Amino acid sequence: MHGSVATRVLRDLAAWATVLLFMFPLFWWVLSSFKPYTAIFNTTPIFFDFTPTLDNYRVTLAGASRVGLAVERGGGVGTVAGGASSYFSIPSIVDSIIVAVGSTVLAVILATLAAYGLSRWEMRGKQHFVFWVLAQRMMPPIAVAIPIFFIFRDLGLRDTHLGLVLAHTLINLPLAVLLMKSFLDDVPRELDEAAMIDGASRLAVFRMVTLPLVRGGLAATAVLCFVFSWTEFLLSLQLTTSIRTIPVKISTFVTSTGTEWGFITALGSAALVPSFIFIMLVQRHLVRGLTLGSLKD
Amino acid sequence: MATALAQRQAGGGVFRLPRWLAGDHPFPWLAPLTAMLLAFGVYPLLYAVWLSFQERSRVTRQFEFAGVRQWATALADDRMWGALQTTVVYTLACLAIQLVLGMAVALLLDADRRGYGLLRALMTLPLVVPPAVTGMMFLLMQDAQFGVLTYGLVQAGLLDPTQPLLGASSTALAAIMLADVWQWTPFMVLIFLAGLRALPKEPFEAAAIDGASPVQAFRYLTLPMLSRVIAVAVLIRSIDLFRIYDYVYVMTGGGPGTLTETLSFYAGRIFTLANFPYAATLSLIVLLVLNAAAMLFIRLTRIRF
Amino acid sequence: MSFREHDRKTFIADSARAYAQRRIGKREFLRRMGLAGVGFSAFAAGFLGGQRPGGGLRISKQALAQDSGPDPEMMKWLAEVGRPFAGTTIRYTSEATPPTIVLSQLVKDEFTAATGINVEIEIVPLEQVLQKATLDVQGQLGTYDLYYLDQSWIATFSPDMEDPRAYYDAKPDLAMPGFDWDDFSPPLVDGIAKFEGRLVGIPFDIPIAILMYRKDLYEKHGLKVPTTMDEYMANVKAIQAAESASGIYGTTGQMRSGHYSLECEWTIWLWGNGGSIFNASDMFSGGDEEGIRGLEYMMELSKNCPPGALTWTWDGQGQSVTQGIAGQLVSWGEFFPGFDGTDSKVVGLMEAAIPPTPTRVRPSSEAGFGEIPHIGHQGGSTLSLSKYSSNQEAAWLFMQWATSKDVVARGCVLGGGASPVRLSAFADPRTKEAARVGPGTTRHFPAIEYTINNMMGSEPDFPAWAEMANNLIPVELGKYLNGQTKTAEECMAAIEGPANEMAAPFRRT
Repeated sequence: MHGSVATRVLRDLAAWATVLLFMFPLFWWVLSSFKPYTAIFNTTPIFFDFTPTLDNYRVTLAGASRVGLAVERGGGVGTVAGGASSYFSIPSIVDSIIVAVGSTVLAVILATLAAYGLSRWEMRGKQHFVFWVLAQRMMPPIAVAIPIFFIFRDLGLRDTHLGLVLAHTLINLPLAVLLMKSFLDDVPRELDEAAMIDGASRLAVFRMVTLPLVRGGLAATAVLCFVFSWTEFLLSLQLTTSIRTIPVKISTFVTSTGTEWGFITALGSAALVPSFIFIMLVQRHLVRGLTLGSLKD
Repeated sequence: MATALAQRQAGGGVFRLPRWLAGDHPFPWLAPLTAMLLAFGVYPLLYAVWLSFQERSRVTRQFEFAGVRQWATALADDRMWGALQTTVVYTLACLAIQLVLGMAVALLLDADRRGYGLLRALMTLPLVVPPAVTGMMFLLMQDAQFGVLTYGLVQAGLLDPTQPLLGASSTALAAIMLADVWQWTPFMVLIFLAGLRALPKEPFEAAAIDGASPVQAFRYLTLPMLSRVIAVAVLIRSIDLFRIYDYVYVMTGGGPGTLTETLSFYAGRIFTLANFPYAATLSLIVLLVLNAAAMLFIRLTRIRF
Repeated sequence: MSFREHDRKTFIADSARAYAQRRIGKREFLRRMGLAGVGFSAFAAGFLGGQRPGGGLRISKQALAQDSGPDPEMMKWLAEVGRPFAGTTIRYTSEATPPTIVLSQLVKDEFTAATGINVEIEIVPLEQVLQKATLDVQGQLGTYDLYYLDQSWIATFSPDMEDPRAYYDAKPDLAMPGFDWDDFSPPLVDGIAKFEGRLVGIPFDIPIAILMYRKDLYEKHGLKVPTTMDEYMANVKAIQAAESASGIYGTTGQMRSGHYSLECEWTIWLWGNGGSIFNASDMFSGGDEEGIRGLEYMMELSKNCPPGALTWTWDGQGQSVTQGIAGQLVSWGEFFPGFDGTDSKVVGLMEAAIPPTPTRVRPSSEAGFGEIPHIGHQGGSTLSLSKYSSNQEAAWLFMQWATSKDVVARGCVLGGGASPVRLSAFADPRTKEAARVGPGTTRHFPAIEYTINNMMGSEPDFPAWAEMANNLIPVELGKYLNGQTKTAEECMAAIEGPANEMAAPFRRT
């Protein structure tokens, strides 16, 4: 940490280079969303030599109709298929946000409670119980989707936000429980017990003492739950008809006469924004300091 | 809170909650999770097990009890064994790369200087792209005629332009793995960073005073202290890798031939073609293999939950 | 021109909706209304009468004057007969294909406006339509009232769908006047919709294989339009030899291993070389002499394709032509309007023609399971009415509307010339008007019409076919194209065993 200036510069360079390398596919993707269609496909890839257009965003986000675009470009009305209805994607972004936030909150609450129980008490069969929770994630999603479809149909949860929230919570619980438990295990039990001797109830200790100490872990868990829900495809596809989360919506842009790469890249890029905001909000808690350094010896 | 509420409803303390619910007992903490998993997690498993002992008539489309026929078919199915092998290779290779790369990047980004917060946030961005979209992204970049990656590799003399990355037997699996590594290395980074950031400072300061090199500090301090986080990350990632579906579906469809066909993709394909019993059997094989592997891993690494 | 008038209305409606939802400002709205000619005639004068070079439809003012929107008779009938069902919601699931996209655009302002029946159109990838339909009929759930069914699944879903012809007769009070069943191209009804003597749906979408070639390259190299299989191959090789330096390949393909599109590619060349998938005794016959020749022919073509063709489905194949890197192909005619479209690099350079004549065509009687061998592979689909639907009558009204003369003809132009399932669509003045270079062209219609009537090839129909066509066959073909299987004989032998086993329960003898 107290290396020479040269080491520090070298490290900065390496860090930036690595991250930029990882950013390249995204850069290319976002760049493509501003390209006219013919510039997306060129035998020599086009980097900057094109006239940027917002058309892809206007169709997917502002609900412009293709017909309208054709009129502007000087084409004829009625010569291009596809109305505003099928590519306008703001409702999908809203659906995705509702489902992702809902399932993240639910999964984190359930998992944190359970993880606390598991980390604070010894009990018989604990090992097996945790393994059972973990095993919930081991079935291929396709095999889960179909029985869930039948259950949801009977319960009237099919094609509802609540249903999708529950389904995504279900797939996120194993991860969330395991992560939260490992973070909670790092907070010494003695701390809880010390606080309880002072007369605080278990719940109060959990809220006032333990939770703040695992804020970082909570944040990481929430980010991952959000991400898994935000990106989930198979269950969303099977369980909904009118609710269309972003991955499902994007899959409808693959048509029998060609893939709408322009709209796919535009919606794909736009979908980065809400999730990135969520991550930034949560990531602030991933800071050093408050956590265990002061407690552990 | 819940306790208080329950007491009030029961009529002001005449009825007392049993000790295991009111007292200092783990049950209330575990109950909501357990209820949720029992409600929605057990039925799919039972359903799959039931299916795997059925047979679906192609003529009447009815299910008939078939004993262990599906299982016998699976064990004699070369394609299943091929898919299993592909899945294992895929899982191990991706896991190794993501683990090492993820740790390296996490260490690199674990600094409190200016700009590193942004770098860490940027690094998580690949995670928010839906895997199916990631598949499309790499499909576009790896296209033999129009792809920027293909173009770059050909220009650099690393690729024969007549061999499409996703269509040639030698590169197809690696090309899919590239998408996986791009998307999921950040997962490792995120988890490791959470662990790294939570490490106490004192031991490192003490070690530095004692003249320990950074490598030694990593080997003898960081790694042991992170072992639990690493184990969890490896477990979760292996499970997800072993069930790989989206990239294969979007990028190669299991081809060329069946070279990139993974077990989960094979099961999905059979599901789509309505042979539900066999697909359920294949899914259960995924579950069984994962169960066995996870138990072995937990035993070997002596993880105590 | 009623389609034009209608589309103007759609445009106005879209704009109004956008304005009402505040997605666009007042100024933009007024500007659009100006474009659409609301309140003044600038639109008609400046736009419709324009002689724009290189694109755009030219519609005479006289035609505009005759314009009457959607067929008023039909709308009136819909309004009457649909009244009892107002407020019900019907569900329809489909692939994103031109006729469905047209429907999704028209349904709210026409069908729902007239009848009060809400239509939820769920658009998902083709494989997912299959999966959803399979799940739905397995549980007899009635989740969807209507299905878009690919011709290769017709036999599979035959027991679950109403016979629309019988339904039409059984419900005279719901039968659309002048629906005109005889107007559907008979080969299409036979090839797409019929299984074991009954209709499983109404023909709705008709991509069919025709020849499409680069006129400029043909002229440059003195090539003539091929009429035989040998000439076709010779042209491919000539273009490849002359143009490979400039990055243009002889042909292109939809040869992605394991994908249904590869099966379609294969059958074109199998049938074109005199082979068939099944023989008269319903046994797999891809490995006979003609079959081997067909497969080797395809292999030869694949060597003159852009290498990416091995990873492409129809999507990439069409794209490669649009981007100007392929000289000619026999493939889906529904690509063609895209070649003239705004995103194309070959506008006006492509020509459509009927496919080359096969060396020999095996008669249908020598093939099995209703297979019709011929080079013009049809990949059509039906719109089908589920037996498990609880809103069957409302769905039936929608189905008749969607396949009515008026909607089919207008859809041909709106959807980019892809679904002329009715004979009247070819003769309709609106589609004739669009037969010029430009987006939404119909100048390939003569080739389509001829191919449907004289050169149509159709896959076998039996319930296990979907499984074979989507898995077994394209996977093994993929192995061969990629060199994992060495010879054509080996490849066909690998298909033969499982294929015969899967077909066994459905064999007639």
